[in-house]
Amino acid sequence: METHTNRRPGEIAFNAALFGFSLFMFWQAYQISGFSALSSAGAFPMAMSAIMLIASAVVLFRSLRLASPGGGWSGFRSEVLPPAVLVFSLFILAYSITLKSLGFLLASFLFLLASIWYLERGPIGRTLLLAIASITGVYVIFRLVFQVVLPEGIIPERAILAALGDFFAGSK
Amino acid sequence: MMDALSYLFASWLQPELLALTAVGTAAGIYIGAIPGLSVTMAVSILISFTFGWEVNHALALMNGIFMGGVYGGSRTAILLNIPGAPAAIATALDGYPMARKGEAGNAIGLSTVMSFFGGFVGIIVLAAGAPVVSEFAILFQPRDYMLLAVMGILLVGSLSGESLAKGIFAGALGMLLGTVGLDPMTAEQRFTFGSVELMNGISAVALMIGLFGVSEALLQLHNLHLAAVKQKVDKIIPSFSDLKKYLPLSLQTSAIGVIIGALPGTGGDIAALMAYDHAKRVTKDPEVPFGQGAKEGLVAPESANNAAVGGAYIPMLTLGIPGDAVTAVIIGALFIHGLNPGPLLLIEKPDMFWFTVGNLTLANIFLLIFGLTGIRIFTKIIECPKGVLFPLILLLSVVGAYSINNSLSDVWWMLGFGVLGYFMKLYGYQVGPVVLGIILSRLMDDNWRRAIISEQESLPAFFYGMITSPLSAVLFLAIVLILLSQTPVWKAIKMHASPRLGRG
Repeated sequence: METHTNRRPGEIAFNAALFGFSLFMFWQAYQISGFSALSSAGAFPMAMSAIMLIASAVVLFRSLRLASPGGGWSGFRSEVLPPAVLVFSLFILAYSITLKSLGFLLASFLFLLASIWYLERGPIGRTLLLAIASITGVYVIFRLVFQVVLPEGIIPERAILAALGDFFAGSK
Repeated sequence: MMDALSYLFASWLQPELLALTAVGTAAGIYIGAIPGLSVTMAVSILISFTFGWEVNHALALMNGIFMGGVYGGSRTAILLNIPGAPAAIATALDGYPMARKGEAGNAIGLSTVMSFFGGFVGIIVLAAGAPVVSEFAILFQPRDYMLLAVMGILLVGSLSGESLAKGIFAGALGMLLGTVGLDPMTAEQRFTFGSVELMNGISAVALMIGLFGVSEALLQLHNLHLAAVKQKVDKIIPSFSDLKKYLPLSLQTSAIGVIIGALPGTGGDIAALMAYDHAKRVTKDPEVPFGQGAKEGLVAPESANNAAVGGAYIPMLTLGIPGDAVTAVIIGALFIHGLNPGPLLLIEKPDMFWFTVGNLTLANIFLLIFGLTGIRIFTKIIECPKGVLFPLILLLSVVGAYSINNSLSDVWWMLGFGVLGYFMKLYGYQVGPVVLGIILSRLMDDNWRRAIISEQESLPAFFYGMITSPLSAVLFLAIVLILLSQTPVWKAIKMHASPRLGRG
């Protein structure tokens, strides 16, 4: 892959965080059974966290020697966290939180509507159409064909399905 | 014998399995072709949706996706110069120049038939080789399993990442995450921080969906509005004379593909690049120079990467060691279905093995059929707006993670790993070794402890055994060679002495 002579913005912070995490995990691994035996429950985790510690130290040290990325905060924003990624992450977060209470159908519909509108910026009618088409596709494939249990929430979807089933069974 | 035959054709005769394989292969072609979608992503998400199914049904779908996906990458490599999957990087080198000369149809046709051919070679080697390897594997000591796992992770970490140190970190991180929960041998708690939920460990599926699905989709948001170039696609059935001409080359590169695929840790992407290199060396005077649309440059990687599929199943099924990221995900699926891939699988579950062989063959045939038809629809679907595609991937990731246990906690894990994977990829870490690590963690831990207990806890005896047993010695040597071949390692060894003093 490409080699970098310049650091990417935030690279040191990330590498340092990984180093710190490795250190913490090494300490935690030591807490499991210490240096009691080579076959103890803690031996393998300790070995792995030691490897992580060494590797992350190497990576961190190397990144410290790279030239500074320049660009400051705006460089960080364009290269590491563009607005699209940030906004989208918030959408996913909101979706995950509301999935259970609103139910799959409603939460997914709102999520798709918001994100498709945000990413495509098309006319609202087209967005609505795309969202409805996508959610129908997903629902048919995963709920009806794959029979995946999805959170129901406030739309009594199972009752509707059962009623529909009864209706068609009854009309035969 | 009759039993084996009936298992072999199980997926051909049951309409449901037949349909699932067909759907899987067709979906795989599109998943492989659409840049931003990958086989690992699709299979990771599908595990969570299919784990309630019968294992054969789930396998049929996944085999199809794997087979189709490896091939599908070539489509966009040829048409757009964007390899849809890493295994198609070499294909773009000559495929795209061919398309620019108006020979896109010809290039697609030729690569389809050669993929089919390579895939077939891979399956034959799988059918013939796996029973042999598995008989041999019974002789493996715990130590050898450990070494094999180390080798696999090192290979994945070193061949495709930015630096070996980052690859090793990622592999070790995966292994460490795999140990979270109750220790299977002593029931001691490891990294549970007093939480009951953590006692069952971290869900490997949530990790996979996060690392392969969410992080990739987030990263793709960086370049959302790349305009696609349209190509004219005409006749795609390749001429018989072409096929005859390139068959010998295809056979050679298929052999390369199977061998590379069968090595733990190396898969279709490396096989394709090596095959391309091989074609360059053996083709004395190509009609068209390499890099400008040589058909040899298309035939070689395409037959090799599909041959690697069959090869990759060999260590996965016989040793329980996945060959690459995709097989790591598939092995995760097998675990979930209660199967334990390893040397005993072929003895205890011969039906599973022959089913897989037969099913891969079927998927390969579907690949040929779908590859040579439906190109018009293909060019339409490939233009599917990214603004719809990525929300859908994320939606399926969330719902997939939720349906593992019908709980939101897996969703949080999945999102956490998604964010971690996003930053890891951004800063040049590979996520493949993390997944391989979490899958192999149990195997490594168990075998390390078995090995060291059998040596009465003595490290010198352990190392003595390692160099005196021929098999262990060879594996150990291979690991040393992999490390040495990475020249930065020398720098790293010199370097890590100093910063650790300052920081420890």
